[in-house]
Amino acid sequence: MAQSTPINNRTVVLVVEDEPLQRMMAVDLVLDAGFDVVEAWSADEAVTILESRTDIRIVFTDVDMPGSMDGLKLAASIRDRWPPIELIVTSGHIRMNDVDLPARSVFFPKPYDTEKVTAQLNLMAAN
Amino acid sequence: MPGLLSLQRDVLRQPETNVTNPPDLDQIRRLELLEAYDILNTPPEPEFDDIVLVASEVCGTPVSLVSLVEANRQWFKASVGFEPCETPIEQSVCAHSLASPDLLIIPDLTLDPRTAQNTLVTEPPHIRFYAGAPLIGPDGVAIGTLCVIDTKPRPQGLTPSQQKVLAALSRQVIALLEHRRTSHRKDELFRRQKGMAANFRATVNKTIAAQEAGRIGTFEIDIVTDVIAASAEFCRIFDVPAVPTYPAKTFQDMVVPSDRGLHSTDRNRSDGSASMNVEYRIRTASHGVRWISRHAVLEQDETGRPVKMIGTVQDITDAKRTVLRTQALLDLGDRLRDLDDITDMALVASDLMGKAFDATRAGFGLVDKAAETLTIQSEWHSVEADALALKHHFRSYGSYIEDLKRGEPVVLSDVKADPRTSGTANALLALGIRSFVNLPVLDHGRFNLLVYVHHDHVYDWTDEEVAFIRSFGDRVQMAMAKLQAETEQATLNREIGHRLKNTFAMIQAIATQTLRPVTERGHVQNFEKRLFALSKAHDILIHDQGNASIRNIVESLDETLAMPGRIDLDGPDVVLGPRGALSMGLVMHELGTNAMKYGALSQPDGIITIRWVIDESGPEPQLTFFWQESGGPLPKPPERKGFGSKLIQMGLIGTGGVVTSYEAPGFSVEMSASLQQLQQAN
Repeated sequence: MAQSTPINNRTVVLVVEDEPLQRMMAVDLVLDAGFDVVEAWSADEAVTILESRTDIRIVFTDVDMPGSMDGLKLAASIRDRWPPIELIVTSGHIRMNDVDLPARSVFFPKPYDTEKVTAQLNLMAAN
Repeated sequence: MPGLLSLQRDVLRQPETNVTNPPDLDQIRRLELLEAYDILNTPPEPEFDDIVLVASEVCGTPVSLVSLVEANRQWFKASVGFEPCETPIEQSVCAHSLASPDLLIIPDLTLDPRTAQNTLVTEPPHIRFYAGAPLIGPDGVAIGTLCVIDTKPRPQGLTPSQQKVLAALSRQVIALLEHRRTSHRKDELFRRQKGMAANFRATVNKTIAAQEAGRIGTFEIDIVTDVIAASAEFCRIFDVPAVPTYPAKTFQDMVVPSDRGLHSTDRNRSDGSASMNVEYRIRTASHGVRWISRHAVLEQDETGRPVKMIGTVQDITDAKRTVLRTQALLDLGDRLRDLDDITDMALVASDLMGKAFDATRAGFGLVDKAAETLTIQSEWHSVEADALALKHHFRSYGSYIEDLKRGEPVVLSDVKADPRTSGTANALLALGIRSFVNLPVLDHGRFNLLVYVHHDHVYDWTDEEVAFIRSFGDRVQMAMAKLQAETEQATLNREIGHRLKNTFAMIQAIATQTLRPVTERGHVQNFEKRLFALSKAHDILIHDQGNASIRNIVESLDETLAMPGRIDLDGPDVVLGPRGALSMGLVMHELGTNAMKYGALSQPDGIITIRWVIDESGPEPQLTFFWQESGGPLPKPPERKGFGSKLIQMGLIGTGGVVTSYEAPGFSVEMSASLQQLQQAN
């Protein structure tokens, strides 16, 4: 899992997505928006990364992933353990209003409008 | 003039080819009307005979006929001077007069090309003159003619008054036929009514016979002493030892609490307010709840004070329960329809069933066949009985689980007497169960639901009662299965929706990666946004279970554009089929994109007005959709037709019907398509 190493104080975004093609697209989206990116292929790996570094400002995660937790549990856990981190959640589930998303998180149904996700990243990074 | 034209059949059967066939449709209508009149091959009737008699007298012809033209023959309902009752169609002159509402007059048949070769003309009886008035039914269908015929030519034809009479008589024939048809209908109705009345009488007679067989008890209450003198039959009905007198209270106390007030009491007897004819239920010692019908009169003393109440009682339980069961089945259908919870359904059914039987308990239980246990799902019980515990082992109560496992009903009139339960009867009696019905309700051959009814007394279940319980079980099972199927369908829809969205996400990812080297990013973005629009349309479809409304699709565009207050939309609620919804979703996206780039939405004040209407004036309903932009820059037609323009030109469902305009105040488009095509399922 190649990871870009942050070389300056640019915003770092953690992309969590188990599907490789979709992860590639998300990573490109983050890079094209001018941020640094870290990738994880599962929620468990994301937690390991979050535990090992402190520079991650935004987590952009899928919901349906293998492993001991899915993206929703990951989001809840991040809100609990790393409250300052901003959350963007995406899923192929049609409606997420049945499910409680943690506070200060934004949901985009798949397939997402890359322009809108980019705008959301910029908004979160600016705050 | 009988005998003048007495011809032999073999002569009449000679073929003739000179007759032109009327158009098929007329023929079909004619045959239909003839059938409706039910007149062909009927015996002569004086009303019709009189008409031909008058026609021949007035016209001075030896022959007159009421001729009805069938497919292959003409048949005579009435005739004078002509013996055969029919001729082949080839010999029919009347057939020629059907086409026109006017009289057909042929002064010399040998000179007319239509009839010169007719064998009735060329051979005996050598007819020469013909005048026929078509018989035209109320709908304008001609079924034959009233005609007059002579064997001598008549160059002068008929006089005007003869013509008038012939036409009038032809209308009279139709009037007779119509009258005949109406009275036949009446006869038919009358016959049916008579049949129904006979059935009804038979039922009543049977009921009366049953009542006569069910014996009637008599009583006399002394209002002063409140002592009742009861007949032996009265005592049998109330299930008490037959002794000549009882305190009236003995019987008043037997009335079930909810029916108290219907029967008579010492108070309402003495003030004379007791109802004289009532139905109420009593709880008997060994026959459970019984329905009683009581008729009575009050006897008064010389001051008008009631002193005696004299009357009859009858056990009407069977008749009453039959009615209650029917009502319960009807109520069940009504109430199940409104429920969407399995426990509620079973509860409603238990309640209706228990009350219809005046049972001790009625309910549904889930069966674990391997463990041989019953878990009570829903239960109704009488006020006197306790609810059953939640879980039971069948074997604790006898061996009848064997029958249930084979799918057979268990109908026990007395648990003490039946070999399957006699050994364990005390366990059942402890629960207040003296007789019961257990019916396995099978779902695709699987036994996991049980319907039961208990009585605390010996009870002989009739086949009808068992069928009633089964029908309750089946209905509840069907309602449950339907509910389950709907739940499964909803889950399946969600799952399909989820997969579809992930597929769209994959396509998006592949395209993004594949098109990464493309330097014209606009094209890539266009692709992505179209994919996005298609995905949104699918969302709406899946969310609305395959039926998306126009409003939802337009509102979704509004939401995607995220420019609140810029779109004014209105139109009737129209649900689209999947194809219509997807196609419309894509078109909306293109219109919206264009408006953002070049049209009303490219300026801060521009707005879009969207309307849709259904036009039902044509042969099939059309949906017309209007899109009008205003407040934007002056519109101009696109320089080249891209994919977006092509999509818009294809219209709502790919069938065109699109009118675009680039005039002030802004771009507008009107799209029409067949509503049926927009709504069809595929």
